[in-house]
This record gives sequence, structure tokens and C-alpha cells, in this order.
Amino acid sequence: MAYITYLMVCAGTGCVANQSMKIKETLIKELDKRGLSNEVSVVTTGCNGFCGVGPIMVVQPDGIFYQLLKASDIPYLVDEHFIKGRPVKKLMYIPDAKKPPIPKMSDIDFFKKQVLIALRNRGLIDPEKIEEYIAREGYSGLAKALTELKPDEVITEIKKSGLRGRGGGGFPTGIKWETMKKVPGDKRYVICNADEGDPGAFMDRSIIESDPHSVIEGMLIGAYAMGSSDGYVYIRNEYPIALERLLKAIGQAREYGLLGDNIFGTDFKFDIRVIRGAGAFVCGESTALMASIEGSPGEPRAKYVHTVEKGLFDCPTCLNNVETWANVPQIIMKGADWFTNIGTGDVTHDPWGGSKGTKVFSLTGKVVNTGLVEVPMGISLREIIFDIGGGIKDGKKIKTVQTGGPSGGFIPESMLDLPVDFDELTKVGSMMGSGGMIVADEDNCVVDMAKYFLNFTQEESCGKCVPCREGTKRMYDILENITVGKGTEEDLALLEDLSGMVVESSLCALGGSAPNPVITSLKYFRNEYLAHVRDKKCPAKACRQLNTYIIDEEICATLGHGCDVCTKSCPDYAIYGEPKKAHHIDQLKCHKCGACFDACNFKAIKIE
Amino acid sequence: MVTVNIDGKKVEVLEDTTILKAAELAGIWIPTMCFSELLEPYGVCRLCSVEVIRGKRSRIVTACNYPVREGLTVRTNSEKVKWIRKLIMELMYSRWPNVPVVKEMAVALGITESRFKSLEIDEAEDACILCGNCVNICRDVVKASVLAFEGIGIERKVVLPFNEKSDACINCGACAYVCPTGHIKIKSLEYERGALKDWHLGPKTAISIPTLQAVPRVPVIDKEACIKMQTEGCGICSTFCEPGAIKYDMQDEEIEIEVGQILITSGFQVMDLRQMPQYGYGRLDNVYSSLDFEHMLNSTGPTNGTIMCKDGSEPRAVAIVHCIGSRDENYHKYCSRVCCMYALKFAHLVKDRTPAEVYQFYIDMRAFGKGYEEFYKRLLDEGVNMIRGKVAEITEASQVNGNKPYLLVKCEDTLIGKFREIPVDMVILCPAIEPSADAEKIKKIFSISQSPDKFFLERHPKLDPVSTMTEGIFIAGCAQGPKDIPDSVAQASAAAARILSLISVGEVAVDPIKANVVQEYCSGCKICNNLCPYSAITFLEDKKVSDINEMLCKGCGTCVAACPASAISGKGFTDIQILAELEGLLTP
Repeated sequence: MAYITYLMVCAGTGCVANQSMKIKETLIKELDKRGLSNEVSVVTTGCNGFCGVGPIMVVQPDGIFYQLLKASDIPYLVDEHFIKGRPVKKLMYIPDAKKPPIPKMSDIDFFKKQVLIALRNRGLIDPEKIEEYIAREGYSGLAKALTELKPDEVITEIKKSGLRGRGGGGFPTGIKWETMKKVPGDKRYVICNADEGDPGAFMDRSIIESDPHSVIEGMLIGAYAMGSSDGYVYIRNEYPIALERLLKAIGQAREYGLLGDNIFGTDFKFDIRVIRGAGAFVCGESTALMASIEGSPGEPRAKYVHTVEKGLFDCPTCLNNVETWANVPQIIMKGADWFTNIGTGDVTHDPWGGSKGTKVFSLTGKVVNTGLVEVPMGISLREIIFDIGGGIKDGKKIKTVQTGGPSGGFIPESMLDLPVDFDELTKVGSMMGSGGMIVADEDNCVVDMAKYFLNFTQEESCGKCVPCREGTKRMYDILENITVGKGTEEDLALLEDLSGMVVESSLCALGGSAPNPVITSLKYFRNEYLAHVRDKKCPAKACRQLNTYIIDEEICATLGHGCDVCTKSCPDYAIYGEPKKAHHIDQLKCHKCGACFDACNFKAIKIE
Repeated sequence: MVTVNIDGKKVEVLEDTTILKAAELAGIWIPTMCFSELLEPYGVCRLCSVEVIRGKRSRIVTACNYPVREGLTVRTNSEKVKWIRKLIMELMYSRWPNVPVVKEMAVALGITESRFKSLEIDEAEDACILCGNCVNICRDVVKASVLAFEGIGIERKVVLPFNEKSDACINCGACAYVCPTGHIKIKSLEYERGALKDWHLGPKTAISIPTLQAVPRVPVIDKEACIKMQTEGCGICSTFCEPGAIKYDMQDEEIEIEVGQILITSGFQVMDLRQMPQYGYGRLDNVYSSLDFEHMLNSTGPTNGTIMCKDGSEPRAVAIVHCIGSRDENYHKYCSRVCCMYALKFAHLVKDRTPAEVYQFYIDMRAFGKGYEEFYKRLLDEGVNMIRGKVAEITEASQVNGNKPYLLVKCEDTLIGKFREIPVDMVILCPAIEPSADAEKIKKIFSISQSPDKFFLERHPKLDPVSTMTEGIFIAGCAQGPKDIPDSVAQASAAAARILSLISVGEVAVDPIKANVVQEYCSGCKICNNLCPYSAITFLEDKKVSDINEMLCKGCGTCVAACPASAISGKGFTDIQILAELEGLLTP
């Protein structure tokens, strides 16, 4: 049955959490009531990436974008848009209070600059229907590989494309495949790493939620190229929607004969098993992940013998990340040359010579538009933050952007014109990582942020090797001391020393990259550290133990009339004052928790 | 073979050798902490970090598990390596400042003080340093996987499943052996329970010296407990035994030795006390046999020689009961001879080691040997209570007023003519000495006799107390009858002298009167075989005739009379000869 209009309701985790499923039900009910169910179809799609304004609905084929929907808006919306033909302006995206709303999705800055390869089907298909994926040229990459190309030709194509591992390391995928292909052995595995553990990053989850078949197709092509017949997807159990859609997709692929024996009538056979991870951060590390699949504790081992030679169950194993696999079908279908046109550098001779294609970033922090963006390699940080992200919230000044998840580094404002690719980010001490991007403004203290990241890594360290277990914990302790005013200048030297050692001597990449936030913040924001240890002051006023809270008597008396809220909020009974008169803080009693500062409705409490 | 350059020294080693091994060959020391020869390198202490140089790129790797390749250049002592090792050591030192291995390594790397203040500091000398050796040996070598790491990051620690003793633990002690700090200790569970009836006298580990007083004092492998023999795992002992003395394929074998004379010293066994339920052995706690008590007294025993009740407390009173099964119409009528004296010894030791009251329940005090009577007198002076009377029953007194439960010994004191009940905490029973269980079998093999008490019978109780009725078979020790060590030694010496006297002559003079089978007449009916009181007749399977061993034959003539075919005749006493003799006598 042909419909005139399609309502693409976002069913990514973010929107589902904001009741998008209820919106879908209401839509169906309301459309039915008005006898429109033959004309308008409601489709649930994967994540659109613009999670900050969810729940989202796009009206196709017009491409009209509605945001921040509530179930109560739906009857009005249906009446206005689908009966009277008047798109509802108040539910559209409004970039700025002074500017008119933007009706079309493609006109919104957040989407305008994005180039979609891994996420090309997001918002366009129902991820739970294999037919919709096939309609969007799905599985034609696999068909091409199996019927037109020899395995070696597939590898050559991937090598030529310059595709590099999207999981963080940036290892050229083609070289990995080629090495694996050369290793003898009948039993060989391909693994998809969907154990995305970086806080605030959800690229892989979104890809699986919005287009699970692209990952399956990528793995099929890889398995064909490397002669494997067994695949694993290691996915976090905390991703229930992604897991459900992935399992459904695998089931559908099996039904269609795309997994199993004699795929496309050839001798090639392949099947995928799904292993659910329990959420340990370190299990995103390839050897720890394999240990976990084997049923052992998820701890990494030395990789002096590469996993492509001796990996899962001691067999040759190729592990790639979700995003890497999702790129593969497109490269095979459209050719390596199409892929190399996007991105930086030259990879014709040296696979490490540049970064090609696109990268999905999870843009969070103090930007206006938070969400998932897929951008071509080489785009500048400034473009991502200001053009796509819409700049800094509340018109504040940007201080730094932290890329690469908890193990990435801080990039100062002066370097925002840096083109984003694997090598450039590494050069400045940060990394691509899996694609986290946290924007900080002048209210954020880098020491505090570094402490936050170190706290995460030291808690998630598996504890196997000494440098990571003991080193990151001591680094965290030192940072903690600095943020409460007990730090000294010697501590900074010690921190630098320790960071270097942990990077050099840790067993796996978790320890090897955990000190990055400290190293880069010490490099680019040393003054801020010095303010903490010398003057015992936090310039961003974020480290509360270094603040002195005082009450502006005039504001307190005139605006607040001594409202007494602060007195009640103070756990130390340090605030005193008569009603209707200005209050005071007893600095000897004050433990600097900042509760009064948060409580005061008149901004009468100042920090010195 | 590949050549690697370690600190400028060129070493030729097999490919895939680790840098650590290669450096050892080159005589270069690399510090290690978690490395153990027994295990696959784990690579977690990172102290063995070295710098590997390939072209212009240098990289820090761990020597213990990095496989060498042709042309590899390694720096084990560069400034960078030293800096890393020192910092690692500082971190470890700040957390475990008193562990000897950590302290020593810190000193070796020139660290006297750590700049770090560890919040997780463990000041114990035997703290766990998380090297993982115990976990790895349990999983990879023992294949029991009992130990594991729990927690991540700084919370990591070694645990047993659910922090309880696991049934999967085979008590092999491998974990304690590989622990570099002594954090894992082997604890005697018996000591904890204090229950003598649950004690095992056998070896606990697969390889052990059966007892500390064993002769010869060499270790043996217990096949049932050996991981190698049961699972084909392990095999560590053979890699460590330098002389290569360990063989897993050795089998028990039977050896046949031809000898002229045999001395039987098959010894005795003690009576099973469970036959006499009135004494509660095996049923009541703290009722021990004399052997159990001897085990407890032993300084290498389960309690290290401390006399204690099952709950670990010191006994307040101890009863020693003589003649359990000896001098008893229902069990053994004979006197076991040794009990009186060892019972007195026990009394003396209990008095010596504890303040407990000691009660001896005896029928008659038989202190007959040299110095024995004096010892008895001395014990009377020590204040041991002697009660003449047979114990009727031992019962458990119920717990009253929260007091410790105790045992009641009921007996008739024949000296004062009264029935008595004596409360004690511990009872030691002196079981009867019995012939060993296989005495019957031995008797048959050697064709010797048993006296009514089932001990082996000597040829003459006064004139020939070490020989038997069978020529060349001698007996000594408790196989002949209950006796103490001096008597056993004396008898064994006598028997040895008897045997030597025959050996020194070189040949044996035997009586000429023997029976003889004429093989042509023997029908192989085997009637004679079982008749011979000396078991001298055997059946020759190949010839299908009976044959007489002349050495064993005493010429009694039983077989001669029994043979239906008249195939057996006395040598020199054949019918023809006898008749001829008669004829000669009768001829005038």
C-alpha cells in the first residue's frame, strides 16, 4: 500500500527515554481517529543523533523536522499538519530566539554539515525491517564482493580506501585484514566490538540501533575476505534496544539466507553469535574482550603476538569496531576512490598517510546542540563546535574541547582550527578514540575535569598491572589533593613523571592512554594548575574547596530581605543573620560545600 | 637460532625465546617480581620493562614475555628503563613497605623512600602483592581454578569463591609455594577441628615423606592425589628434580628372589576398638586409642605435641584404661604385655605437659622389665591415681549449668570394693595386640602353625623359640606373640644368628629319611599333595606327576601310606628293602 506521507519517529535510546514510543502510539490513534491511517504511515527509526532536542519526528517526503514533542501536542499537530496542511511552527527547531524556526531538517545547521556513511540510513529506515535496508541498497556490497571480487581483491579495495579502525587506535583496517589472511589456520574469527564504554559516547549504539544490517554486512564482507566462517558481536548488555535490534537483524539475515551456509549460492558460509558484555570498560580492549568471550575474566594480555595471529581461542582473529564494519559495505559498493575523496592526507602509498572517510562524534558538554554527528575527516574542531554544535551555551567563552573519551586529551581554544583526523589529534596529545567530544567553557576547571576522567579510568582499570592499577590511583589522589588545596608544585612534577611512566609501561591501552587528560591539561593549562597549588584558587571556581563564599550584604538585604534559605541549606550552621537583614558566613565554620551558593535565589552569594 | 643484541652483547638464542631468558644467557640481570619459572609469564609487575629498539623507533616492552626476533636490539639499562622501574618500585613500595621481596627490590633499584602516599597501604610483612602467581598456578598447572581475582582497579584482590573454602581445592599447596610473600599459608584443618578420629595418618600432598621418622626418609608420590597421574596436567616436580629421579610411569612390580631361609616378622595389629561400643571409641569425642594419643604427642603430629581435647581446650582430667580386649574372656585371653608400661608413660607425659589429673584403670600392674617397677613407683609419687578395676562403660555427661561436657568413666574399684564414676575430659584406651589380619594367609604360604591365640607357633617354647616346624622358616617379634621392643630385638637377633649359622656352613645337612615319587608309577591323582603336613609335595603340571621337595620332607611316611599306586616310597625304606631286611633278620 502506498502512503502519501511517512512520519519518521525517532526510536533511539534517547528519544525512547523521552517517551517517543508513547508519541508513536498517540500518533497512530489520532491518525486513525481522523481516518488518515491509509495515507500517513508511522515509522520508527534509529537515532537521528540530535538527541538534545528529542523526541524527534521527521515528516517525509517533505523533510519537516519536529522536536521536543509531547504526547499532548499530537492531536493539535495532526489536526494542523495533516488535515489543514499547516506545519506547526512552535514544534520546529528554533536556532535562536531572535530567528524564525527552521522547518526542514536539511536546513538545520546541525545536519547541514554532516556527511553520512556509517549513519547513512539513520532516520530513513525502520531498523527492524531488513526489507527497508535492502531497499536502500543494503547487502549489495556483499553481493558485489561475493560475486565479482576475490577475497584478495576485497582486501586490496579496503587497503586502497585507507579505512582506519574507528575504535580508537586508527590501525589501517586493510593491513589488519591482509595480515590475518596470511596467517594459516582453518578456524578463524571476526569480531565486532560493540562494547562502547566511554561515558557520554554512543556512536556504536546508534549505528546498531539505526542500521544493524550495515554492521552484519560489513562483517560478512570481512569474513569473506579473510576466510572466516565464525563471527562474534560483543555488545554491552546495557544497550537493550541495540541488542534487541541486532538479534532481530541477525534472525532476519538468517531467514533471508544472508547468514548461514551457501550465502548467495556460493560456498561461503558465515554466522554470527552475540555475546553480551557485563559492562566492564576494559572489555573494550581487544584481548580483554576475547578473554571475556572465552569465558575468562575480562583482562587484557600482552599483545606482542598480535590477535590476528593468535586471538580468540588462540586462532587468528580480526576485531573491528562497529563503525569500522559499518563503513565496509559502502566502500565495497562505491569503491575505494569514492572513499578516499573524503578526508585528509594521501593513503595511496602509506596506509598511515592520512585519515579517510568520515567519523562519528558524540558532541556533548557546553555546546548548544548536543548529539551525534558524522563529519568528514579533516573538518576543523571549530566547525564542529560552532557550526554544527551551534556554539557555546549561554554565550559563554569556550575554554577547551576534550576528545577521545576518558583517555583523550584536552585541546585548548587556540587549537580549534586543527583538522580532525587520527594523526593531528595524536600530535597535540589527544586522540580520536571512539569519538567522544566534550566541550568545556570558562566555568569548567581543567584540573577538576582531569580528575573526573582519572577517577573513571582508575575505577575501570582491571587492576592487572602495577602501573595502571597503582599509578592511576596515585594520580587521582594527587589531583584530588590539588583540587582541595593540598597540592604543591612538586606534585605537578610528580604527576608528570607518573603520567609518563604509566603511558610507557602499562600492559594495555587503557593504562597507556589514561594519563592523557593529565598530560594535555598540564601542557596547555599549566597556569590553571599553578593557580591551584600556589594561590590555592580555582580560576573557574569549580573546585569548591578552594572557593571562599561570602554574602553580598546589599543584595541579600535589598533583594532577598534576608530570606534565610541559605541558613537552612548550610550543613555546617555557618550562616547567621537576623530575618529581613543581610546574612553572613562564618568562614571558620564553612566547609565550602557550596550549598548556599546553589540555594540562593538572588545570587547574593559571591565566590572569592 | 637468532642473534639479539642486549646492551651491546650479542646472544644467540632460539627464536621466540623471551628477552628475559636471552638476557640470562648473556649474564644480564633484569629485575622481576611476578615472574615464576613454573608459570607462563604473566607480565603484570612491569619491573622487567626493557627498551626494544627497531630502526629509529624504541618501545618499552616487558622482558618476561617479549619473544625475540632476529636482529633485535634491547637496552635493559637505559635511563628511560631505569626511570620506569624506579617509579614502579616506588608505587609498590608505598603500598607494601614491609614485604621483604618488595623491600629488597626497592633497595636493589636504589629506592629508600617513596614519594607517594598510598591510601591502600598494607603494612603486613606477608601482604599480598597481587602478582597473580597463585591464581595462575591454580588455573594453568593444577587446573583446579579455585583462586581468582575479585574486584577491579585498586580494589583487586585474590579470593576464594564466595570467600569460603572451595570443594574444588585439592589442598595441593601450590599457591602457597609460588607466593613470593608468604601471604598464602597452609593451615592444618585438623588442628582447627582437633578431632582425632578425623585425622588422616596418610600423606596430604601428592608428594610427601610418609612420616618424618620414615626409613628411608625419601618422598613418594601418591598416585591418587598426583595431578599428573590423574589429569596429565602439572608435571612440575620432574622439571625441578635436577637428578631426574621422578618417573611417572613407574609401576609396582613383583620381584622373585631365590633364598634358602626365611625370617617371618609380620608383626601385629591393634584391636579395632569399635568392637566394644561400651567404651565409645569413634562415637564419643575425646575417646582416643593409644595410637591416636601417640600421634597427638608427636611433636610433628597434628597438634604439634600439644595435648588437647577436640574443642582445642586443655583436658582437666585424663583416664587411661588398660586391657581393652586383652585378658578378656570375650576377646583375647592373653596379656598384651606392652600396655601397662606405655600407659604409665602416657600418664607421665600428661602430668608433664598439662596440669590434668590422671587416672589409670588397671587389672594388674605388670611392670616386669628392667627399671619398670621403679618407673611405676615414680609415677605413684607423681600423683597418678591408680584404680584397680575393669572399666564397665564410658558415657558422656550432659552439659550442666553451661559447663563443658565431660566423660564419665564407670568402674568398680576392687581395692575399696565400691562402684565409682569418675569425670574426665579425655579417655585413652589401650587396645589389645592381635595377630595381623593376614596371619592365616602367611601360615598357609609357609606351612607353619599357629597357636590357639593365632600367633605363629615356634618349634619349642623354651629350646627352639625362633624356628618353626618348617625347615628354614624362622619367626621373630610380635608375629610370635605380644612383646615389647627389647624382646622383639632380642628375638630377631637370635633368629638372625640361627640363619647365619646355616649360611656360614654353606651347606645344609638333612636327615636322609625322605619320601620319593617314582614318576613312572605316579598317576597324578594329587591325593598326596594335600596330605603332606609339611607341604613338601607339589604337582608338576608339565609332567602331570607329583614331586617331593626333599628339603621340606621330614620322612614321616604319610604320603607313602596314602599313595594308591604305591608310587611313593621312603628313600632306603622301600618295600623290597624292608622285606630284604626282614628276610636277613629272620635268616638264621
